[in-house]
Amino acid sequence: MKHIIQQVFHSGKFVFGFSIFATILLIVIFYPLFVPDPPLTILGQGTFFPPGIYVSVYDSLSATSYTLNLDEAAAKRIASKLSQEDRQAVKEWLIAAGIPEAEIDPANTEQLLDQWFANYDSKKNVPGMTNAKRNYYIRLNNALKGLLSPDAATVSQTNPQTGEMEQIDTINQTDYVNVSEVANLRLLPLGTDNFGRDILTELIAATRVSLQIGFVAGIIATLIGLTLGLLAGYVGGVVDDAIMFVTNLFTVIPTFVLLILISFSIGQEQRGAFTIAVVIGLTSWVWTARAVRSQVISLRNRDHVNLSKLSGHSIVHIILSDILPYIASYVIMALILQISSGILAEAGLSILGLGPRTTEVPTLGLMINWAMIYQAHILGNWWAYMPVLVTIALITFSMNLMNTGMDQVFNPALRD
Amino acid sequence: MANTMLEVKELSTKYITRFREDVYAVDRVSLAVKEGRSLGIAGESGCGKSTLALSLMGYYFPPLHYTSGEIIINGKNISGMKPDDVRKSILGREIAYIPQAAMNALNPTRKIIHFIEDVIMEHEVYATKKDIYERAKKLFETLGLPAEVLQKYPVELSGGMKQRTVIAISVLLLPKVLIADEPSSALDVTSQKMVIKMLRHLMEAGMISSMIFITHELPLLYNVVDDIMVMYAGQIVETGASREMVFDPIHPYSKGLMGSIIVPEQGLRDVKLTAIPGVPPNLKKPPAGCRFAERCRFVRPECLVTNVSLRQAGDGRAYRCILPEAELREAYAREEHKK
Amino acid sequence: MKGYLRYFLNKLGWFAITFVFAFLLNFILPRLMPGDPVAAIVARFAQGMSNSTGVQAIYEQYVELFGTNKPMWEQFVIYLQNVAKGDFGFSFSQYPRTVADVLKASLWWTIALQFPAIIVGWLIGNTLGALAAYLKGGFDKVLMPLSIFVSNFPPFGMAVIFMVVFGVNLKWFPTSGGYGFDLIPSFSWQFIQSVIIHYQMPFWSIVIIAIGGQAIGMRSMAIYELNADYVKYSRFMGIKDSKIVGYVFRNAMLPQITGLALSIGTMVGGALVAEIVFSYPGLGTTLLRAVLGQDYPLISASTLIITVMVLFANFIIEILYGFIDPRIKAVQAD
Repeated sequence: MKHIIQQVFHSGKFVFGFSIFATILLIVIFYPLFVPDPPLTILGQGTFFPPGIYVSVYDSLSATSYTLNLDEAAAKRIASKLSQEDRQAVKEWLIAAGIPEAEIDPANTEQLLDQWFANYDSKKNVPGMTNAKRNYYIRLNNALKGLLSPDAATVSQTNPQTGEMEQIDTINQTDYVNVSEVANLRLLPLGTDNFGRDILTELIAATRVSLQIGFVAGIIATLIGLTLGLLAGYVGGVVDDAIMFVTNLFTVIPTFVLLILISFSIGQEQRGAFTIAVVIGLTSWVWTARAVRSQVISLRNRDHVNLSKLSGHSIVHIILSDILPYIASYVIMALILQISSGILAEAGLSILGLGPRTTEVPTLGLMINWAMIYQAHILGNWWAYMPVLVTIALITFSMNLMNTGMDQVFNPALRD
Repeated sequence: MANTMLEVKELSTKYITRFREDVYAVDRVSLAVKEGRSLGIAGESGCGKSTLALSLMGYYFPPLHYTSGEIIINGKNISGMKPDDVRKSILGREIAYIPQAAMNALNPTRKIIHFIEDVIMEHEVYATKKDIYERAKKLFETLGLPAEVLQKYPVELSGGMKQRTVIAISVLLLPKVLIADEPSSALDVTSQKMVIKMLRHLMEAGMISSMIFITHELPLLYNVVDDIMVMYAGQIVETGASREMVFDPIHPYSKGLMGSIIVPEQGLRDVKLTAIPGVPPNLKKPPAGCRFAERCRFVRPECLVTNVSLRQAGDGRAYRCILPEAELREAYAREEHKK
Repeated sequence: MKGYLRYFLNKLGWFAITFVFAFLLNFILPRLMPGDPVAAIVARFAQGMSNSTGVQAIYEQYVELFGTNKPMWEQFVIYLQNVAKGDFGFSFSQYPRTVADVLKASLWWTIALQFPAIIVGWLIGNTLGALAAYLKGGFDKVLMPLSIFVSNFPPFGMAVIFMVVFGVNLKWFPTSGGYGFDLIPSFSWQFIQSVIIHYQMPFWSIVIIAIGGQAIGMRSMAIYELNADYVKYSRFMGIKDSKIVGYVFRNAMLPQITGLALSIGTMVGGALVAEIVFSYPGLGTTLLRAVLGQDYPLISASTLIITVMVLFANFIIEILYGFIDPRIKAVQAD
């Protein structure tokens, strides 16, 4: 046994897959210890905040301000304000003003502004320009001028006695606060989802639930498959025929269809994560049963099994001590594949809206479902679905790598 | 003086594993088989006898690689030839091979006759399908195989029938040398007998000129071949006429191996089956001295460092040991006496 | 030929049994749930519907149509008759369209998308897998990890990534639908062009997934065959390598064909979800709408049709396999 495990860990593929999987598992276990927030807490008002560090503006105002004179500050400020459309509009104007197109580079903010202020004239009549467009350029020009002016911004507050606005502070363009002195900040490494929930925390909770679903489904499927496979293979005869008949039926009838029918029939209210796992397990034992059966048939007439039979051992004893140890590696490999396909099955069901009911726990499939319903993929909010997809892919990929690695150890023919 | 059909001089080959390690499976093997003679090669599994069989074909493909030495078949030195020339003019015509597991030696999705067509057309450009069929039918009938076999797929044939079909295909082009690698070990007793009978018939009828028969079943060897060679860890350890090899081995390894032989008709039923303790050396790093030293009962310190070569012992006998023949025989006699 | 006929009849019989069983499951599963399914479903559905006469009409029609107040066996007979007539009743969510009408529209889209995609993926995947086994070295080292990764990538994930990369960012292809939303299906050049453009992303995302799995399978099969005894024996009989490679790939291909038959259900399942991502007007999207609209008759009929499609594809593959693998005819003839 120890030897086999050593051998398995000599396979590069297995070790690579195992490391990925172990890392995911460790993150899932330890992250909640450090960030104990419930995963479905709604933090944000609004949908899909991009990933980043969120700093309280209010607290920034009251934090100590430091003056830093940084050369690039003004240019960066304008560059960040000048949108892609504005740049394009500036370029169009400049072309209309007779500047050769080759000399205009919309990405070079400084040069673009120089050309703009040298050439812009609000009274100039560009043929074919609508009034709205003309006004847009005037606004753009003012905005750019405002950004370039060295004026400070004023902070005012209503005086509770007089009810008048009073200036309480000014903020210069060279004022800075130290982030560590701001009372409130929140790191949202993966932003928020459509309900304003922290995606990272949600993702890790979802990974945990999905793994649990995978494990429960995998274990149920493997147990059923193992039992039926052992019975069919070892007992043979009518039992074998009957089991194979059922197995063949379920091989051809698409599992996906069964899943849909059962999940829908159960109804939204009854569909917890555990129920879904059981349903997936009940519909995906077919492959294990087939594999186990063929293994058992090849073992059935080996010498040590015959010896055991002659010694008068019971069927249970023979199966447990003379057959199971020999197919253990196959069963474990099958279990690994079952877990990974269980996770995929849950995701598929959830996308169809037949996943676990949505109020208690997130699952990877539900997260994709929410992102899809709120059009995250079309709006370009990659953080709402990409990390989920990557997580699913990493889990299934790592499990299949482990499986391939084990396969190569146990089936030497596949080695080169 | 009969012609030498196969002569092998100092042939060495190696396997290159997927970890780029060299395994020296055949080490400076020399042998010669004359017309009308058959040679048996015996040894434990893993001793390199099957690799030797593959190496003798002179046609190498990964993981097996040629290192050095010469193979001369029917006067043609094939070691310097291009692989493609070996394939076209030597394989099947001069030397043919019967594989270990003939059960799977035939392409399962090709009818026997179609495979025969492939083989013959590879060597004879102008052969027509009709001629080939007539030839194959005649050959099969001569060898006692029904002609219907030609129209079947391998899956439709029984194990013994499959093996005999493979043998028939192998001798289709009347090769000078036939190498049979454990041709009967996977068969039931009846089929085994038929296969052996067929091989003998091939020799007697002159359809093949010489044969090399490889097996780990010594009684079989004793009944089939004229000479026996014992291999250990990629080297020949002893060679001689089969009767002497079986009843009067010189080398301690042969002695141990022959100790496990049961030849019922000779009344040797009571000879104990003795397994030789220990395992063969790792051929990735062959030992510097005698390769059998670690398992040898008579090992001496110098055995571990001295490179031992084959010693001649008259009548074509040769053995690989630093002890003289007389000393070894004396030791065997003493052991016998103790019992 | 006698051998083949036997094989054919055997498969046909098996196909019929599976069909009956699948049909029964489709009937029984939803009815295993406690309570009056039609009443429950209509009630659930009615919550979001203001047109109360519509609800009433549907309810009455369904009680009439399915006879839910009658015993099980009678319901089954009614169900049989309805299916035979092609009458699955009204769709809840797309009332007053009938289920048959809704499905007729989407069925062809799905067949036209999935059938070619799975075949193309199978062909490309097998070619690549065979090449990887034969060439080994760098080609194998790059292709295999890539295939393992791709084949483990969830089908909907592949669809989403295609959509984001080629649809949203590069804007090469439209992101949703089966044809331009401003067009009416017709045989005009403009419509066909639009269909072809909309076809690309769902098609290739299904193809890529299929390629990965098939390449891995073909590679193992080909390696297994390359190490088979007959390869060694054929070589020693002087047969040239190109011919032996021919033997090997033909033999490695055969289990891949049965493999396709066994995995086609899973592939179709994945492809249905991919359809959803692209809002492709096929069965997948219809199914999603049915689930969202709690449209029970539509779900039931969709799953029945999907099952029949998969069974049929399976049957066709098995029949073709009988032609391609000579052993079948030979063995059955005995």
